[in-house]
Amino acid sequence: MIQIKNLTKYYGKDQSLFKALDEISLDIRDGEFVVILGASGSGKSTLLNTMSGLETIDGGSISYDGLNIENMREKELTKFRKENTAFIFQQYYLLPHLNVEKNVRMGADLAGNKDILPYIKAVGLEEKRKKFPSELSGGEQQRVAIARALAKKPKVLFLDEPTGALDEKTGRSVLDYIIKLQKEQGFTMIMVTHNANIAETADRIIRMNSGKIVDSTTNNVKKTAYEIGW
Amino acid sequence: MVVSFKNSIKLFGISIMMCCAICVCNMFMNYLIDLKSVEALVDGPAGKALYDAYISTGVVCCACSGGCLSVTSLVMLFFYIKHYIDSHSKQIGILKALGYSNFKIAKSFSIFALSIFIGCLLGYLLSFAIMPMYYHMQNQTDLIPHVNINIHFELFAILVLAPTIAFGLIAIFYSVKKLNQPTVNLIKGITKTKGKNTDSKDKGNFVKEMKSSVLKSRKTLVFLIGLSSFCFSAMIQMSTSMDELASVMMGLMIFIIGVILAFTTLYIATSTVIRFNQKNIAMMRVFGYDGFSCKRAVLDCYRPAAYIGFAVGTLYQFGLLKIMVSVVFKDVANVPDYKFDWPMFFITLGAFIIIYEGIMLIYGYLMRKIPLKQIMDE
Repeated sequence: MIQIKNLTKYYGKDQSLFKALDEISLDIRDGEFVVILGASGSGKSTLLNTMSGLETIDGGSISYDGLNIENMREKELTKFRKENTAFIFQQYYLLPHLNVEKNVRMGADLAGNKDILPYIKAVGLEEKRKKFPSELSGGEQQRVAIARALAKKPKVLFLDEPTGALDEKTGRSVLDYIIKLQKEQGFTMIMVTHNANIAETADRIIRMNSGKIVDSTTNNVKKTAYEIGW
Repeated sequence: MVVSFKNSIKLFGISIMMCCAICVCNMFMNYLIDLKSVEALVDGPAGKALYDAYISTGVVCCACSGGCLSVTSLVMLFFYIKHYIDSHSKQIGILKALGYSNFKIAKSFSIFALSIFIGCLLGYLLSFAIMPMYYHMQNQTDLIPHVNINIHFELFAILVLAPTIAFGLIAIFYSVKKLNQPTVNLIKGITKTKGKNTDSKDKGNFVKEMKSSVLKSRKTLVFLIGLSSFCFSAMIQMSTSMDELASVMMGLMIFIIGVILAFTTLYIATSTVIRFNQKNIAMMRVFGYDGFSCKRAVLDCYRPAAYIGFAVGTLYQFGLLKIMVSVVFKDVANVPDYKFDWPMFFITLGAFIIIYEGIMLIYGYLMRKIPLKQIMDE
């Protein structure tokens, strides 16, 4: 269970001081798929970065199963990330000089996971496992990023606009992979997007505006990646 | 202008290198020209032998220091240009898309010659500060007539203007070659990945894979780190082992040049390694790799190059001094036999291990300070 209480984050200082997150409180259950929805500048990515421990906070608390991370030192945070989280970003951030297998190994090694092939197979890239990122399409690169994240066997998967750089067909396919794998493996998944259609695939939709949660809705009519609009 | 004056100043490593090269070359060449003017006044076989030894020493020193340092500066120039094009590929790609030709863009790289000019000019001027001491030292023998310092302006043209023009032209032509790639690749920042070369055997461990990939992706850096250790090893051992072959001033000069070159090159190479791998390091840390693993993956792969550089430097200085004694000074009386200085070797090796590993630890610590948010901001 992730518990966030009165989370506050500022950027800038003096006259340019800007409140990016304004006393946000939120609970996320284990195995839940939550989409954080909002326009650019609403604070959704900042919320993702702070709740995952990538950014420091200026107020409030973040706890994972009772373990508070907001006051952790860098060494403890690294250990926390190693044992609990994985990330998928809009820009993939694959290591350009390593092939698919070796990129996936980046995640797998941290979990002591020797068998990476099932993860590569799961994202449908078995044939291309010796290819380099520059030899893959955008969708394929994102699937490598998914395999890399999942090979880490995370308890919580954070996704920042994972389909943002993809066309509709590839985007749907990638989203379908992620949802399917989340169902199978049961990890908690927190996805940031500005696309309201994608939110329809989640268990819960949290809407943000100006650093505040303006709405939190349980989605009773979950759709698949192929049923939503784009 | 694609490349600004500020970018040129960043090439201070080349300036330092050229400064050292030209300082040594101008001092020796100026002395050689002045010495040649008194050739007719040299008497007897002993005087002739010493005269020939002075000439040979001057030529060897100019060729070794000037030649090696100029070649290294050239490698560094190529490295900077390639790095600049890689890191500014988007802006350069947009200019190409707008219709700018490769040559027009490449012309702005000639400003890199400014750093050569600054280095050469400083070296040229610095040599005149050292020259009186050097001439005084050389004039202490009675076998050769007293030589006075004369300023030879042709050396300014050869050692300051010519390298500036040559490096400027080389910068332009090398840039044209490097810019000759599809515009879309430049805009998208797509770099050629040579599969076979960069991804050989499966090492079964991510950090080892990363180490191997970092090493293979920038081979110039391997050269620079090896060179840094080479300079440290060769120059320090040479400066301390040649006490009976040359003056204290000569030894001190070699020592200072060695230390400056070693630290400048190591700083340039190591900071470049980290800059190139900033995103990869950040991504590793996002995933939960600790600072030690990141250091192992990115910096430790250069350790063999550093120690090989040290070993080669040791052999080089021994070989060079041995040749100097047995070939150049063979006809000069009272020149002691040169033997390998083991105590100095172990002292230099100890100092090298402490300094190199210490610097790597500091850089490893700095790597942990790379803000993770940086990769999310793009």
